[in-house]
Amino acid sequence: MISRRDTETQGAADVIEARGITKEYPYQGDAVHALRGVDLSVARGELIAIVGPSGCGKSSLLNVLAGIDAPTSGRVSLLGTDLYALGEGARSALRLRRLGFIFQRFHLLAVLTAAENVELPMAEAGVAKDERRRRARELLDYVGLGHRAGHRPPHLSGGEQQRVAIARALANRPEVLFADEPTGELDRRTGEEIITLFERLNGDGTTMVIVTHDAKVAGSARRVVEMADGLIVGGGR
Amino acid sequence: MIVSAFLKSLFRRRGRTLLALAGIAVSAALLLDMTMLASGLTVSFGELLGASGYTLRVTPKGILPFDSEAAIDDGAGVARRIAAVGGVRAVAPVLGAQFRIVRGDSTGAPVFTVGIDPRAEFLYRLERGRQPGPGEVVVSIPLARDLGVRPGDELALAGELDVTLGRARATRRFRVSGVGDFLYDYAGEHSLAMTLADAQAATGRSAGVSLFGVATDEGVDDETVVRRIAAAVPEVSAWSTRELMGEMDKRLLYFKQLATILGSVAMVVTALLVSTIITIGVRERFGEIATLRAIGVSGRRVLLAVVVEGLSLAGLGCVIGLPLGLWMAGRLDRILLSFPGIPARISFFAWEPRRVALAMGLVIAIGAAAGCIPGLGAVRARLAQALREEAE
Repeated sequence: MISRRDTETQGAADVIEARGITKEYPYQGDAVHALRGVDLSVARGELIAIVGPSGCGKSSLLNVLAGIDAPTSGRVSLLGTDLYALGEGARSALRLRRLGFIFQRFHLLAVLTAAENVELPMAEAGVAKDERRRRARELLDYVGLGHRAGHRPPHLSGGEQQRVAIARALANRPEVLFADEPTGELDRRTGEEIITLFERLNGDGTTMVIVTHDAKVAGSARRVVEMADGLIVGGGR
Repeated sequence: MIVSAFLKSLFRRRGRTLLALAGIAVSAALLLDMTMLASGLTVSFGELLGASGYTLRVTPKGILPFDSEAAIDDGAGVARRIAAVGGVRAVAPVLGAQFRIVRGDSTGAPVFTVGIDPRAEFLYRLERGRQPGPGEVVVSIPLARDLGVRPGDELALAGELDVTLGRARATRRFRVSGVGDFLYDYAGEHSLAMTLADAQAATGRSAGVSLFGVATDEGVDDETVVRRIAAAVPEVSAWSTRELMGEMDKRLLYFKQLATILGSVAMVVTALLVSTIITIGVRERFGEIATLRAIGVSGRRVLLAVVVEGLSLAGLGCVIGLPLGLWMAGRLDRILLSFPGIPARISFFAWEPRRVALAMGLVIAIGAAAGCIPGLGAVRARLAQALREEAE
């Protein structure tokens, strides 16, 4: 069992609802306006791609939606929780137990094997050793890397490392998966394999929010949200 | 799991970590030695003072034992008055003098000589033969070895040297009654003991005594007996072992200062080594740490893992540093004890478990504190910014 689809009722209710989001960063005594009042809703089971030119605020929006970075103003409701009404500890716990993350740079722990990297979020969440070993093996099989479970990241290719990172993101059965440029470090063929994997994950019921420059990734999404200059200019809801 | 992963990361750059570890071990060893040195001589001196059971000293007024040639004139009378003080078990008079051993026409180097009460067994332990009677001496082991004398042999001793003739004057012959292990001698020192009456007669200080060793009854507080002696015999000074150790402390202030300075340097070096190696390690894993925090690993857990890295480095440094420090202490002790005038039984480095634990605890605490700085830096870094920097 990889997703929550089998155990939870599929509904059209929004899992993410962001309203009036602004984000400013101080820069050399001035303020950079990364987000200028963004409204966005994501329904359960959706796969949305956020696209736009560099510096348009895609990653800033993803970080705000995922509870990584508090907005300057606005409100984010994630899985029915007012995200920034929570303390940092509670947000960390929510990210650990209910969300999954995939980054452009895989940042696996080089000293751990692929299986141990997948086990790590489960260990942090208090999953028993036997259970997390079984599930890590299951997840690595799911991403097609069961035969590489005992290998350490430096001995894996970029595509293989990203698959391990995906398995790690799925470790605690996340309800929403966030990915920031997941194919940015991969060659075209490997990127396509990752896209196929995402489609499969979404097909299994995982809600996905992907920030990408990659037209093929965007093409696989059910909805494409276009951004420019800190605003949503297309595909918003 | 994250803690063990971070510990494994510590040894990812094995050479660098081992070099840092070697540095920490040397610092820990130095800190251990300085901690042992700070109190070593005083503690060892205190143990030696009470080694023969005579824990108090009575000297001419205001004089430390053997600090001058001053003597208590009415030795026998003072001895009787001290013996009458409540809590006093035994009184052992000592008269210090210098004699020369005359062999044929030659006069040897001065030999430290003590006139003693042979029943007291205060300043030496008899190894061979018997205690001296009138006209007899007990010689120290180095003297017996170097001059080839044994019980039954005779020694000619002179109290004075005729400067114009370069010869000994007033030579007197003594029979060697025994060989003793003199507790307060420095390594290889030639010394001998004779009866107090013989020493008084030979030095012309009839009834003179340089000091008394005083043994107290079991369970009696030495300080109380010191106060009683001071009240009963006001013309002398009475010293407890604790007071003499205090005097020793004052004279060895420079040792303490040296130990404090070098110990502080060792602590700073440890802190710098640990914080540098951890800072570099954290900086190298900045992306990994940011990702861990992003996926929901709490900042507290990340901080704990980094601090455990510092603790482990410092702890491992202590494990290596402890035997290294003890070995260094042994070597330094031998060098320092070769300086003239230092009793061979003294040790400059005291093995006190409490102080050793303190030194090692300090190193480990420094390691933890030094790990906190980069750890807090990693945890307090703005997560979104850290992820953005890593992606660029």
